[in-house]
This record gives sequence, structure tokens and C-alpha cells, in this order.
Amino acid sequence: MPQLREIQQAFSNGVIEGTYHAVAGAIDPGTSALRSVALYRRLIRNNYTQVLKITYPVLSRFVGKRYFGIVARGYVKKYPSTSGDLFPYGRHLPAFLNVVHIPPLLAELARLEWACHEVYQAADSPPLSHDQLHALASLDPSQVTFHLHAASRLLSFPFPVHRVWLALQPEASADEVVELPLPGQETGVVVTRGDGQVQVTPLDRTDYLLLEAMSRGVDAAAVERIAIESEPEFDFPRFLATVLNLRILSGVSVKKTP
Amino acid sequence: MSFQCPAPIPAQAGIGLRSHHFREILEAPPPVAWVETHPENYFGDGGAPLRVLERVRTRYPLSFHGVGLSLGSTDPIDHAHLHKLNVLIDRFEPAFVSEHLSWCSVGGRFFNDLLPLPYTPESLDHVCARIDEVQTVLKRPLLIENITRYLTWQDSTVPEGEFMAEVVRTTGCGILLDINNVYVNSVNFRLDPLEFLRAIPAQAVWEIHLAGFDRFGRWLIDTHGQVVHPDVWTLYQWAIDHFGPRPTLIEWDTNLPSLPVLVEQAKQADIILGGCHAAAS
Repeated sequence: MPQLREIQQAFSNGVIEGTYHAVAGAIDPGTSALRSVALYRRLIRNNYTQVLKITYPVLSRFVGKRYFGIVARGYVKKYPSTSGDLFPYGRHLPAFLNVVHIPPLLAELARLEWACHEVYQAADSPPLSHDQLHALASLDPSQVTFHLHAASRLLSFPFPVHRVWLALQPEASADEVVELPLPGQETGVVVTRGDGQVQVTPLDRTDYLLLEAMSRGVDAAAVERIAIESEPEFDFPRFLATVLNLRILSGVSVKKTP
Repeated sequence: MSFQCPAPIPAQAGIGLRSHHFREILEAPPPVAWVETHPENYFGDGGAPLRVLERVRTRYPLSFHGVGLSLGSTDPIDHAHLHKLNVLIDRFEPAFVSEHLSWCSVGGRFFNDLLPLPYTPESLDHVCARIDEVQTVLKRPLLIENITRYLTWQDSTVPEGEFMAEVVRTTGCGILLDINNVYVNSVNFRLDPLEFLRAIPAQAVWEIHLAGFDRFGRWLIDTHGQVVHPDVWTLYQWAIDHFGPRPTLIEWDTNLPSLPVLVEQAKQADIILGGCHAAAS
């Protein structure tokens, strides 16, 4: 009688390889081992495809059910699940799409959707408040650094991929037209969460540069210099209002002076 | 938010809590006695799911129905997974915590499906030790659910019902009796569903599941994507007459319908449960 471990390993091989010979001896002859293994293989693959579809709804709508199924099949084969929790299962899809021969837009769209997926369940914490921001005025800006909120992701794309994302939202107007291919145009985007809902907001170049610097722990004085170098007439009040409204930051650190 | 003690689940019908219905449930809480959810859907650090669950929990008794512990696996128990489950249990204090009598991983690879164990003395010892381990960590009894299977292991020497009864005797766990699974297995393998049900110790049945199936070739598949089949309602009536009224969940995971359809199915279960309550009084 094979040990439980051997049975599980043989079944696993059957499902992964699509062969049933190794496990056939352990299955009651009254059941077709071929049919059983094929059925489980199909159910398992369909389950993962569904998980990927839920994680990447815009990509799925964009490429259609058939093409998405082909992508999912390739992904499932290359990236087996390693957890009983399926939330992280699709994390490698952007990298997977980058190495298969498909338009780069799809990998970038997947990267944006993965950020949305992470932000949806990221940790709760109060965003940087208006009062906290005001209090900074009395401090030496070279001693102040910023913290990106756990539910914020800053991304840069080689083209305005957020336009496709917005146009394929369920509530988007049917009249929304996005010309493809998208123009080659470096685009920064911030993904945030407001009242539980994930938001994707395009950023102009200077806003992106400043937030990217803040996320790297660059101090406020240096951030200000970056802004002025990029746009001598930079509108700081507008930028700070955007930061507060979108809840991009969670707080600041002030270096202790000796 | 913390809860002083788990609200007991009445012997009435409940429904599964799915993100598809979050908004509707918060805006107009449906007339059901309790809700059940997969704890894995709340393993994230924050965001809407946890906030919704907090609000739902203030209104309804709650049950956790796990799908990822891989109780029957020969890999070590995933203690990171168990820890997350424990944190959620402390936070939401569900009345029941259930898992499946199955395995879903080997050699570190997960299939995230409910795979059948051979019903052998070796499996029995193995799964009982694992249930003991989980119950020790969670400091509470688990409910173990019977699954659907699409194969029979040649070396299964113990009938499934007796296997489950022995698991209960050895570990002190309860049973989550899935009537649809009993029915699907009985059709797929030409078994007598009553033989299985008669082997189950009545006092161990703490919860019942009802769901719908789909037909795929010669197989009935436990998809949780349809209304409860009339034959399953008949078997449920038999089970309630036999075991007495039990908290009963309408399980629906794929092809999700509108909330009123779920509530209507729950009402049908309540009619059967109500008939049993009336007969008892």
C-alpha cells in the first residue's frame, strides 16, 4: 500500500504534467484515472484563471476571455501557487507578460492593476493631515522627510497606460475612446485609496518627481529644490492640496538636532 | 473593534458574505440569521474588506470557513497561515471555524482545491494529529467538512462516514455537514447517501451547508454556482429530521446571483428548519 505522501506526490505530478500513469495504480479501477486526473487538472486551472481574472479585471476585459485564458494557462504553468491564501497568487503576472512576446502595454497594464490589488488591502493608517503639514512651516526643511502611505503606490510608465485603465472601468462612458497605440510619453501615476475605493491618478512630471523623491526619503529642502529646478514657478499649494486630498503620505519624520 | 464573546449561531439559515454583495449588505442588511465567510479573504492588513466585516459582524453572528489550511497534507502545517487565521479569530470572534477534510498542497506546491484523502488508518492518524495541532493553536474546536471527490483511492478501506466519525471521536472536533457534497458523491459514485449520513454522529453536526452543482459530462461538479437542486433539498429534509435543526448556510461562490436570490434560498432552508422546530415543540 503506498504511503499517503507517495499518493499525494503522484497525484501532484499527474495534475502538473497532465499524465496519470504514476497515480493510476492508486486510484480505484472503478474510476477512470485518466478522466479523474484530467478533471482535477481542469478544475484547478479554471480556479487559478478565475483568481487572475479577479486580480486583473481590466486586462481581462481588454484582451478578451479567450486570450486571457491563454495567458493564464501559461502563467499557471510557470508560477505554481505556494500558499493557501490566493491574494498574492498573481504577483508575477507583470514580469511574466514582460518576457512573452506580446505588446508591452499589457505588462504595464498588469503592473498598474497589481498596484491597485495591493492598495485595496494595504494597512490602514491616518493620512498626513492639514495641521501636520502646517506644523512643518516652523521646522528646518533639511531635517524633515516624508512617509508614503502604506496604501499608496507610485508608478512610472513609458506611455499613459492609465487612460486604458480608466476607459475599461465598468462605470466608464461607452463614448470614451482611447487611440492605440498609446503615444510614447513618460507618465507618472499614483494609486491611492479613499473610503475603501482604489483611485488611479495621473501626475504631471514635476509632481511625480517630487513624490518619487519623497518616497526615497529625500528631505523637504531637497524636494523644494527639485521642484524649482523642474518648474521655477511651481505651484506648491496646489501640489500640497493634491497630496492631502489623495492621502498619498502618512506622516513625516524630523531629524533630532544634536 | 473587539467583541466580548462570539454570538451563537441559531439553528436558522445564513448566507455567505462575498465582496460582490458588500455594498448591498451594508445599505440594506438582508433578513438572514447569520453570515459565513472565507477568512483568507481578510488576510490583508487593512482596507475595505476588514472594515466591511467589522460592520457586518456588529449585526450578524459570524462563521469562518477556511479553504487554505490543507489539513490532510503531508507537508508541515503552514504556521504563518494559521497565525493570520488566529489573529482574525481574536478580532472577530466567529462562533464557528471550519475547514475541509482534504489536502491541497504537497512539496510546497499548492493546488488551492479540495483534494480527497484515502480513507485509511494512516490518513486517519495523520489528519487527527493535524487537527489536534490546529485546535491547540486556535484554542477552540474546528468543524470539519466532508468534501466532494472525483476519484476513489484504491486503498480507502474505511467508509467516509465512519472515517469522519472516528476523526470526531479522536479529536473532539465538530462536523460541518455539506449535504450537496453528500449528494454529488452519491450520484458520481452510485453510493447510498443515507448510508453516509447514518454513520455521522448527530451530536457532532454543528452546521450544515447547502449549495448548487453543475453537470460536466458524466460528473456532477460542486461549483457552488446554482440554486440548491430539488434532490438536495429532499436530502436536507431527511438530514434535519434525522439530526435535528442545525445552522444552515446557503453557499454560493461562482456565478454569483443578486442578494435576493440568496435570501430566497435561505428562506427555503428556514421553512424546513421551522417545520422541524414546530414538530419538536
